Amino acid sequence: MADEDRRKFLKVATCAIGGGVGLVVAAPVLTLLADPAGKITVTTPSAPLDLGPAEQFRAGAEPRKVDIIAPIVKDAWMASRNVVLGAAWVRRTAPDKIVALSAICPHLGCAVGWDAGAGNFLCPCHDSRFSAEGAKLTGPSERGMDELPLQVVEGRLQLTWVRFKPGQTNREQA
Amino acid sequence: MKAAVERFLRERGLGGDGAPAMIAGGASFAYVFGAVLMFLLVVEAVSGAALAAFYSPSSTDAWGSVAYLQDQARLGWMLRGVHYHGASAIVIVCGLHLVQTALYGAYKKPRELVWWLGILLMVLMLAWAVTGYVLRWDQAGFWANKVEVGIAAASPVIGEAIKKLALGGNDYGNLTLTRFYALHVLILPAVIGAVVVLHVKLARKLGPTPLGDRAQVMQPRWPDQTLRNVIAIAMVFAILLAYVVSMHGADLAAPADPSAAYDARPLWYFRWLFELRELAGSAEKLVAMATPAVVGGALVALPLLDRGPSRDPRRRKLFLGGLAGLLAMIGGLTVASLVADAGNDELAKRDAKAEQRAQLARKLARENGVPVTGAGDVYTTAPMAIARGLFATRCKGCHDAGSKDRKGPVIAPGHGNRAWLTAFIKNPSGDEFWGRTKLAKAETAMKPVEGLSAADLEAVVELTYAETGATDVVAAKRDKGAAVFDSMCGDCHARDEGQPGAAGPGLAGVGSRAYYLSFIGNPKSAFHMGHDKSQMPRFDKELTLVERDALAEYLVWLRTASAADLAKLDPL
Repeated sequence: MADEDRRKFLKVATCAIGGGVGLVVAAPVLTLLADPAGKITVTTPSAPLDLGPAEQFRAGAEPRKVDIIAPIVKDAWMASRNVVLGAAWVRRTAPDKIVALSAICPHLGCAVGWDAGAGNFLCPCHDSRFSAEGAKLTGPSERGMDELPLQVVEGRLQLTWVRFKPGQTNREQA
Repeated sequence: MKAAVERFLRERGLGGDGAPAMIAGGASFAYVFGAVLMFLLVVEAVSGAALAAFYSPSSTDAWGSVAYLQDQARLGWMLRGVHYHGASAIVIVCGLHLVQTALYGAYKKPRELVWWLGILLMVLMLAWAVTGYVLRWDQAGFWANKVEVGIAAASPVIGEAIKKLALGGNDYGNLTLTRFYALHVLILPAVIGAVVVLHVKLARKLGPTPLGDRAQVMQPRWPDQTLRNVIAIAMVFAILLAYVVSMHGADLAAPADPSAAYDARPLWYFRWLFELRELAGSAEKLVAMATPAVVGGALVALPLLDRGPSRDPRRRKLFLGGLAGLLAMIGGLTVASLVADAGNDELAKRDAKAEQRAQLARKLARENGVPVTGAGDVYTTAPMAIARGLFATRCKGCHDAGSKDRKGPVIAPGHGNRAWLTAFIKNPSGDEFWGRTKLAKAETAMKPVEGLSAADLEAVVELTYAETGATDVVAAKRDKGAAVFDSMCGDCHARDEGQPGAAGPGLAGVGSRAYYLSFIGNPKSAFHMGHDKSQMPRFDKELTLVERDALAEYLVWLRTASAADLAKLDPL
């Protein structure tokens, strides 16, 4: 019986040591794999981006797609210059007002296009339609297109690039 | 409950690995090596999977992603260290495993296959290490791989084909990395896994070979042997982890640079071959290829030669002696190679320099990121790196205070600031200014400006200083300086844009970036030194606009910089 007890102790000891080693192996692996979760691995510029002279956008003209280009983006180990982040549809809605709508569909993030025939926006993925002002018309999108902050500084358009969470009625920054 | 679970699993084909539950001769610490190796293989697989989640096998990105792992990802350095030094641990434990097996005569009939599979596994492990070392794409891994592939390429007939297949083409590049990566993380693990399964299955089926008269003792494998295994595993892992922490992971040299000389050294377990190759002289490639084949052949032949029935080591002195001699030769050559390097002061100096460069590259990668053009360009992200590099190669000879054959004015921190301008006006042909140029000796050379009141001198200095575009100009002084300029300097010089003076260089924008850009491009132009025969060559053909502009920017920066500022910049 003493031999039985001894074996039982040996089994517990084996499992304890083995489990301990397993934990010590697993902990740093999981730590490393979880590392990107708490970090900004791809930077987006916080300063407004220059879109050129404001006068190029004329009243009455159709919305124009403007590429949003970041001067520098740091992506994990790499630093890239002049990176296209996305696009915005820019239009002069009144003599003193220019509006920029993010081309990212608020439904599931596809690229929204301008349907010149219908005079409104159409997302090619799930057929969400938005008015020229960006209001939701038909289709599955939960909300209208997202307006991006714009300002005119010394005659030049300055746009602040913001991403919003898709698939919800309220507009929340991603 | 436990019985029910066990029955459920057993009925469905699970539970029990088919190995005998009892160990003939009893459990022993002599049998732990296989289990330790198994554990280390799992550690390599798990750490490798974590590293693969960060690694990018491309010639522009590989080094950057490894540097990111080492210096930025949390515990990335530790996983790199565990993976890299874990491979060393595998090599060491493989050696111990081999010695134990040989000592106990466990290669003898009917266990020859287990032995041969073990030899095959050792070869595969070494190949695994080779394919892993190049992935970091740093100087160390790159040059070590170049030598290894070079040796393989010297094989008769198939050498060139091996090289092309290994590199994925005619030269090192993206396909080299994708290839070695596929080999390292998919193909070799699959092959090694299959061979390991066979090796372990056979070894367990045939059981251990106890020495002496212990054969009659029977002990259960679980937990008697298992406990010994986990104790050994815990000890090995503790040593490995302690070593990894003490080394802060694995080293990482500067990004691979095919143009930079580097003292390539193989991984330590190939050092004996490296030393042997050195000793072999002109027959080096033959030796480098033939020796592993001879050593491997001897190990494979061992069970065929030692066929006697006895496993008693005392009766196998010849074979064990031969094996000991082989291992002693490998160990001796390894030590000789390491000792030779340790005693080489020149090598130590080059290594220290290479390490300095590696640290600089890693610091720049951490702070600025690696450029899209590749990790080798990380140095260009240092402040004014392009300009300082050009200055060192193209300008220093004539313009550095420390240059023996300086021909022009000294260019140093403070160049073109108020103090510099004041000193220049007082003595333009001073040694640090035009003193060493031919034009200082010409009759038309500018004479020291004398007879100015201190206030007037200050005013004309402020006026000239304002031309640099500096933002701290005192307007009142500058305006006063305009009148002084007209009376004292205007006979020779002009301040109007693009206008050369009547007998000297135009001074519009002097000391500004645009001025320097124009001057460097063509100092002999009418606006600049056209009146005098400047010795300085024009650089508008030799340097690109971007390069000249970088130099101009650097000269502007020097005006407000101190010697300490210059010393603080990252070395090039």
